[in-house]
Amino acid sequence: MMNLAFKEIKKNKVRFLILGSIIFLVSLLTYIISGLANGLSQDNASLIKDLPEGHFYMNPEAEETYNLSRIDSSLQEEIVNDYQDATALSIQMGFLDDRNGKQQSVVFVTSTESEIFNDVKDGEILLDRSLEDKGIKVGDMLTNPQFSGEFIVKGFVDQTKFSHAAVAFINMEDYKEIYKVNEMQLVFIPKENSPHEITGLQSFTKQEFLKTIPSYSAEQMTLNMIVWFLVVISGMLYAIFFYMMNVQKIGLYGILKAIGVKTSRLFTMMWTQMFLITITSLALSIAISQGFNTIAPEGMPFSLTIETTLILSGVFLMIGFIGTTIASLQIKKIEPLQAIQQGEM
Amino acid sequence: MSLFTITKVRKTFQNGDSKEEILKGVNLSLREGEIAALVGASGSGKSTLLTIAAGLQSASDGQVLFEEKNISAMNQEQIREIRSKKFGFIFQFSHLVPFLTVQEQLMLMLDVSETELKKSEQKREVDKILQLVGMEHRKHAYPSSLSGGEKQRVAIARAIIHKPKVLFADEPTASLDSKRSKEVMELIREITKTLNITTLIVTHDEEMLSYTDHIIKMSDGLILKNKELIH
Repeated sequence: MMNLAFKEIKKNKVRFLILGSIIFLVSLLTYIISGLANGLSQDNASLIKDLPEGHFYMNPEAEETYNLSRIDSSLQEEIVNDYQDATALSIQMGFLDDRNGKQQSVVFVTSTESEIFNDVKDGEILLDRSLEDKGIKVGDMLTNPQFSGEFIVKGFVDQTKFSHAAVAFINMEDYKEIYKVNEMQLVFIPKENSPHEITGLQSFTKQEFLKTIPSYSAEQMTLNMIVWFLVVISGMLYAIFFYMMNVQKIGLYGILKAIGVKTSRLFTMMWTQMFLITITSLALSIAISQGFNTIAPEGMPFSLTIETTLILSGVFLMIGFIGTTIASLQIKKIEPLQAIQQGEM
Repeated sequence: MSLFTITKVRKTFQNGDSKEEILKGVNLSLREGEIAALVGASGSGKSTLLTIAAGLQSASDGQVLFEEKNISAMNQEQIREIRSKKFGFIFQFSHLVPFLTVQEQLMLMLDVSETELKKSEQKREVDKILQLVGMEHRKHAYPSSLSGGEKQRVAIARAIIHKPKVLFADEPTASLDSKRSKEVMELIREITKTLNITTLIVTHDEEMLSYTDHIIKMSDGLILKNKELIH
């Protein structure tokens, strides 16, 4: 069967190149923003996102603000003893000074003994690797005005951030001294599909807990909205482009129908063109965005997984298909007579 | 025996609140291999009759029999199949596909008619028909580079490449000058006679009637005169 789709593209290269370029630019922008959204999400909450599946528990009186939550010490002990791998933890913003007096913003994290969080001894500190780039080395001594002693840097951990700041794991006793508290803020129980009913505590899934982090939801919602707007815009682009093309070709379609070409063949022609242009444009923008993913500067919050890229590509193809089909519905209504009564195409 | 029989065909259009009757019960028969011309003033119903006969629009009443099958009772898919395999069309304008070369226009028609010819045989057939219409030297040209007369020759070639039983031509020379019109009509006559194709032509050009075998004069939705010529 003669492939009308390819023949038309071959004859009208510029027209299709313009559509392809627009789809390429829109999809590239979508991938880049999606990469940034994911990168910022990692930067904002990799400490939480990288935890195994499980549930967080906090005091309901804290009204979903984790740093206002206090877990009663006796209840904490009961939970840690009763539930396997249960961990009580606290997260609090703070800062560290090095020997030269240079201050670094960090998030202090401490927990009861656990396999999930790093075990840190009294006076020791484990830091997110981003601080290594700022000149801090293993063995360095760091201080905090609220802490009587000094912290010795024992090592660095990869990709551990919270609220866009590097995480600093410290011993629970040191934490209590800095923040003058005796209770932990949260309890985390991993490997459970449904939350336990613990009297006096409110449960949160990981996703629900992420939403309680100030700025996380607002940031993600904005970026995801841009991504989906771009996807919808690309669908509209297809619909408009093919609609305009079809308006110009009503006469041609009428004649083709008059000589006996099936309507389904005209639809197939349009879909073939759509898939060909989209797949070519997407392949190019995937290559560029993945290339950018590998060469993005170290400090740039950018993370674009192949999985995300493929999901978005699938959505682009689907939305392109819908847009093209809607625009092509007019072909069904074209009567051969209309074309014959029209002038030369 | 008649290849085509049109019996008591009526066509009514709704025009606002009133009904307009374009065809008022037309009867017509076409013999195999003859060239018939529908003539008459503008609005006489000749083009409407041609498009109903060709299955491009339905009659409000009456019957169109082709090879003893009632086209009027067929569904859209059955009519499409007859159009693609048994009918050929030439219009006032060539209406060629702008992104196909001359050769591809003809290959497409063979494709649409679901020919059983192999690719190589199709190409040979295309060459043969292009030679017949004197366009073999332009087979790789696109319509945009052809003159009006050349386009109409390609349109004729496209209309007959699949060896249709009936050729419908709606004012095939209206967009051409006198010299080119004669050439095109000579070509249509020569080809349809060679291939024994029944032809129904709508024309308002009296000069073209000398190329036909049968003149059907229409006026106000009725056939006034039905005259067979002896050449």
